[in-house]
Amino acid sequence: MKGTISWKWAVLVLSVAALVAVGCAKKQTVKSEGAPGAPGAAVTPAPPAVGEAPVMEAPPAPVAVAPATPPAAAPGVAVTEEKMSQFDDVRFDFDKSEVKEDGRKTCQVVADYLKKNPMAKFLIEGHCDERGTSEYNMALGDRRATAVMNYLVSLGVPKAALSTVSFGKEKPLDPGHDEGAWEKNRRAHFVLK
Amino acid sequence: MIGAAAGAFLLVLSLFPSPAFPVLYIDINAPGGKRMPIAVADVAVGPGDPSLSRGIPKILSDDLALTDLFDLIPPTAHMETVTAAHFSGKPLSFPGWKMIGAEAVVIGNVSVRGDRLSIEMRLYDATQGTLLAGKRYTGAPNQLRSIVHRFANEIVYTFTGVRGVFGTEIAFTARSGKSRGKELYIVGMDGQDLRKVTDNRSFNLFPRWSADGQWLAYTSYRTGAPNVYLRNVSTGAEKEVIRFGGSKAPGGFSPDGVWLYAGVSQAGNSDIYRVRVVGGAAEKVAEGWGLEVSPSPSPDGRRIAFVSDRGGSPQVYVKTVGVAGETRISSGTGYATSPSWSPAGDRIAYTARSGGRFVIASVAPDGSGAREVASAADGDCEDPSFSPDGRSLVYTYRKRGYSALKIISSDGRRQRTLVSGLGDAGSPAWSPGR
Repeated sequence: MKGTISWKWAVLVLSVAALVAVGCAKKQTVKSEGAPGAPGAAVTPAPPAVGEAPVMEAPPAPVAVAPATPPAAAPGVAVTEEKMSQFDDVRFDFDKSEVKEDGRKTCQVVADYLKKNPMAKFLIEGHCDERGTSEYNMALGDRRATAVMNYLVSLGVPKAALSTVSFGKEKPLDPGHDEGAWEKNRRAHFVLK
Repeated sequence: MIGAAAGAFLLVLSLFPSPAFPVLYIDINAPGGKRMPIAVADVAVGPGDPSLSRGIPKILSDDLALTDLFDLIPPTAHMETVTAAHFSGKPLSFPGWKMIGAEAVVIGNVSVRGDRLSIEMRLYDATQGTLLAGKRYTGAPNQLRSIVHRFANEIVYTFTGVRGVFGTEIAFTARSGKSRGKELYIVGMDGQDLRKVTDNRSFNLFPRWSADGQWLAYTSYRTGAPNVYLRNVSTGAEKEVIRFGGSKAPGGFSPDGVWLYAGVSQAGNSDIYRVRVVGGAAEKVAEGWGLEVSPSPSPDGRRIAFVSDRGGSPQVYVKTVGVAGETRISSGTGYATSPSWSPAGDRIAYTARSGGRFVIASVAPDGSGAREVASAADGDCEDPSFSPDGRSLVYTYRKRGYSALKIISSDGRRQRTLVSGLGDAGSPAWSPGR
């Protein structure tokens, strides 16, 4: 392959050369660097010219998006910490969001608590195990939290007492990497607000 | 001026049938093809740090080595010392370079005066003694690496006709120190210049580049709830763009920069929306009773690939924006997520489940020609993102708590580790070309 003639590539390189020449036409000072007597050295417009390409960063582009809000100063540490709960987690099967029998029992306990404490409000967190991609798990966690919320509403809990958030696979309860850990991490978690 | 330009072009074309015009080239489509033997000479240093003499060729050589297109002739074999005179008329001794096997030679001349750096770089065909490419760059000293990357791109372009990707970057997420949160990071495609972008100790997820490389869209929990923000990579200025709904994850920008596509959950059901980056109401693009997430716009902006579990398990679908109907393009009954459209529009890479592990697969947008691109016998491969030249993919490798970002050639032949040692590194997104 080396040094062989390829017209396809010759066309490409020459076309590029021509384009470069077009781009530089205004200011070009053609400095012929072709070997003496090389074919076309005198007229080949492009390669010999040492172009100037300033690399100064373009001024911050006039993009349509105006920087509206300054970066939030408040660190979100609280978000990343596991909040203790007096209620069990509701657990799920892999890639599923059905509230199973023992989860329903837990929901009944939560519903009873809310009947006795009508001012209480719960945040229901939806979580997933580490398998699969983050984005899909984020939506799956949302569906799990919503499934628990809907079940509580079906038990007579006012919707206003409940809200949901998904953490996808970002906040595992058990940091392990086996089925035992995954089972604990596929959960809805109740946080008393 | 236009007439003159056209004249120049015609002149070149008229020259082309001339039989004596050997041109060095590399066929990037020939697997295992012969590599170009190239010598990158120590550069001449005027005023400035003498270590630049070796430092600049090192950056350039490392770049070229990443392409697998070149054989680099070791500096110990070089016989000619490049001086400033080689940039003002003195010819190189091409027979000497040819003798050590070089078919191409790169020389450079650098000077640093105060905060001003100027570099001239030249690429010669050593077999013909002709100048193939030459550039003179000026900038600040801290732009040295980016300048050298630019000339490396020139070299690749000269020999292949395809612009190189040196100087491009990969955004990703990782846990910072002992924090349980995740921050955004950016790293050069050569693994250098790693830096932390966010520092709010919440969850910062799903970075996606705008088509001009100026902005990152991402989801942050810094207020307690997940919202989508746009962040200017240079200035750090931010703007909230998606606040409605529950969980949300940006998928990608339209190529014209007008739209941001995202998956957003409402009442537990995630659908695909798009919002104007300048603000305004969201438009629903794809919906169903299942979860619709991870929209990846095609390079022409007319279609999106996305994930839906409407068929019982997550699979990749393609639809034309604004037109009813969707086509499933992933096959099998397992699990297919996180599609990424190739820059040429001819392939879609995604995460597939195969034999209990996650692997990277790719398929044509019509669902034909599916093949596995990357897999690991001892772990999972996820979240592919194409390089701007389409020749490589960056993805996440995970094994029982260890994670790394890896880059693999699109044909699956070559692989290297980009980032390791950061906790739970993932969600890589390759920036557009520079």
